Amino acid sequence: MFNLSVAFRFLKEGRMQTALILIGITLGIAVQVFLNALIMDLQLSLVEDTVGRSPHITATMPDDVPQAAYVPPDGRPALARIVSNEGSLKPIRDWKSVEAQLVKLGAFKVIVPVAQGSGFIRQGEKSLPVILRGFDLERADALYDIRRRLVAGRYEVGGNGILIGRELADKLRTGAGHSLRIAVPSGASDVFPINGVFDLENQALNESWVLVSLNRAQILFGLDQGLTQIELQVPDVFSAAGWAESLRRSFPALKWLSWQETNAQLLAALKGQGSSSYIIQMFVLLSVTLAIASVLAISVVQRSRQIGILKALGMKTRQIGRVFIIQGAVLGFIGSLLGSLAGWGLIAMFTAVQKANPAAGLTSISVRSGAVVLSILIATTAGTLAAFFPARRAARLNPIEVIRNG
Amino acid sequence: MADIELEGIRKVYGTAISTVALRGVDLTVPAGEYAAIIGRSGSGKSTLLNILGTLDRPTEGRMRFEGRDLFAASDDKLAEFRSGTLGFIFQFHYLLPEFNTLENVLLPYRIRHGRADGAAVRRAKELIEKVGVGPRMYNRANNLSGGEQQRVAIARSLINAPRVILADEPTGNLDTETSESVKGLLRAINREFKTTFIIVTHDRHIAAGCDRVIEIEDGSIKRDLSTSELSRDETWAELAPCNCREREDGRLPAAPPA
Repeated sequence: MFNLSVAFRFLKEGRMQTALILIGITLGIAVQVFLNALIMDLQLSLVEDTVGRSPHITATMPDDVPQAAYVPPDGRPALARIVSNEGSLKPIRDWKSVEAQLVKLGAFKVIVPVAQGSGFIRQGEKSLPVILRGFDLERADALYDIRRRLVAGRYEVGGNGILIGRELADKLRTGAGHSLRIAVPSGASDVFPINGVFDLENQALNESWVLVSLNRAQILFGLDQGLTQIELQVPDVFSAAGWAESLRRSFPALKWLSWQETNAQLLAALKGQGSSSYIIQMFVLLSVTLAIASVLAISVVQRSRQIGILKALGMKTRQIGRVFIIQGAVLGFIGSLLGSLAGWGLIAMFTAVQKANPAAGLTSISVRSGAVVLSILIATTAGTLAAFFPARRAARLNPIEVIRNG
Repeated sequence: MADIELEGIRKVYGTAISTVALRGVDLTVPAGEYAAIIGRSGSGKSTLLNILGTLDRPTEGRMRFEGRDLFAASDDKLAEFRSGTLGFIFQFHYLLPEFNTLENVLLPYRIRHGRADGAAVRRAKELIEKVGVGPRMYNRANNLSGGEQQRVAIARSLINAPRVILADEPTGNLDTETSESVKGLLRAINREFKTTFIIVTHDRHIAAGCDRVIEIEDGSIKRDLSTSELSRDETWAELAPCNCREREDGRLPAAPPA
């Protein structure tokens, strides 16, 4: 209690010094908070761009592991011929019960049963490979957001009706209201009227996707009532890997893959970016800590007279130490509080500039209260630790030195 | 019962080149005594006072307070002893410039008890009035004159109702008039609270007003004079044997003529 009031009085009386160090801490923490928010949002927007409109977890049937046709008696590995029947797809047959259990788990934002396979569009001389995707349009819309991005025709795939992408339509010089003949690897082919054209802002998808009804795809690929895959989205994209892991355990018959597993490179890039940002933040905090330590070291020298008097009057070693520890903690806390506010201001400014100039790319960045609280916590701890050596020096000061030398 | 007993106190400074400040001092100061320690600069009297105040530990020897061996205790225990039993009046006042008069007087109380309650604040205010700096109650310490600062320091030394007050040149740096009133104040406190006083001084006027005068020379007690049986003239003659020229500030000259 008394230590606290002496600490505050010292800070208050060393106004200029306190103000300067607070400005220093404020700037450091502001940069740190701003940088942290910027990097985090860059990463999130990158992830959102990559996986926002695609499944986070996909279930398929596992590939057959070919059996060795002949194992020699000495047990050495023998050459086996891998035979895979490319044409016929292995369907997920009991998907209704899997889906029911997934719904029961309640952890998934979107569950889309998909039957898909490859096909060819023949138009005159041309033969274009496409992917025929059969799914329930309403459910798929929650994942792919297609209805909003329909550029012509209507959002409907009853019977033989299909939707195709803008690039494919351009390439074939066709559009809503026309028809396409599409063949599948089994040899079957049929004429499909184009109900609408979509633009998913992704050239590869716009060129290759042909959307049909689930039922039509199942018949076309001979899947019976089965699926080729189940596509899932989770609310928190980064939890996908964990969910995929637990789904692998619950449904071992299926092959579950999370987006993290299929986008390892993106993740590695994000990690690299993240760790370089952490290093910068760490150095900012380190310089804040050193600044607090040096200011307090000077303060101990400046107030050695007062420290001597307080000790002569009966203040204990530990109490004197605490006076300086408290100063370090208070500087760290108030400085990081101000720094967080300033960082918030920087972020608001940045967002305003971005909004005025949308071509710049990144939409907006937001303050994360968790990160701010963490910064304040770390800075306060750092301030407390920074005060340790000055505090020890103060505590060891011999009152005699002060009294003898006046 | 004797309050303070020193037994064979030696103090040596430095290791490579050692300076002997005290060479075996034995001294007993009974409770309630009003004693002066005199001696030339460098005689060891300040060292003796620092040891009496437990601010410095002797190289050898023991100090007992009411039979308790003090220097066997830890630094923190000594700090506790200081705040509970001793009051200090330093030569250069030593108020904390960051605090005002009232806060400075309350320092020893807050060191001991943490928070100052209403009774403590009332007591501090009474003491400030008593030493005559009531109008400066809320002035910052560095806005006070030398005399005012010394009075505040006296009030501060009294706040924890100490049994012993140690004063180092309490009237040094003060003009004659202020010096007289401070002197009167200390004596009044001694009479009123039965507080033991040990005053280090150059000022023979102060020394002459004490019950006992201990003269230190070269780290030993040269003379231990009880003034209560002597008349004022006799005391004066004892303290100024060579009837040396009195300086304008009432102090003894730095070195008496050989």
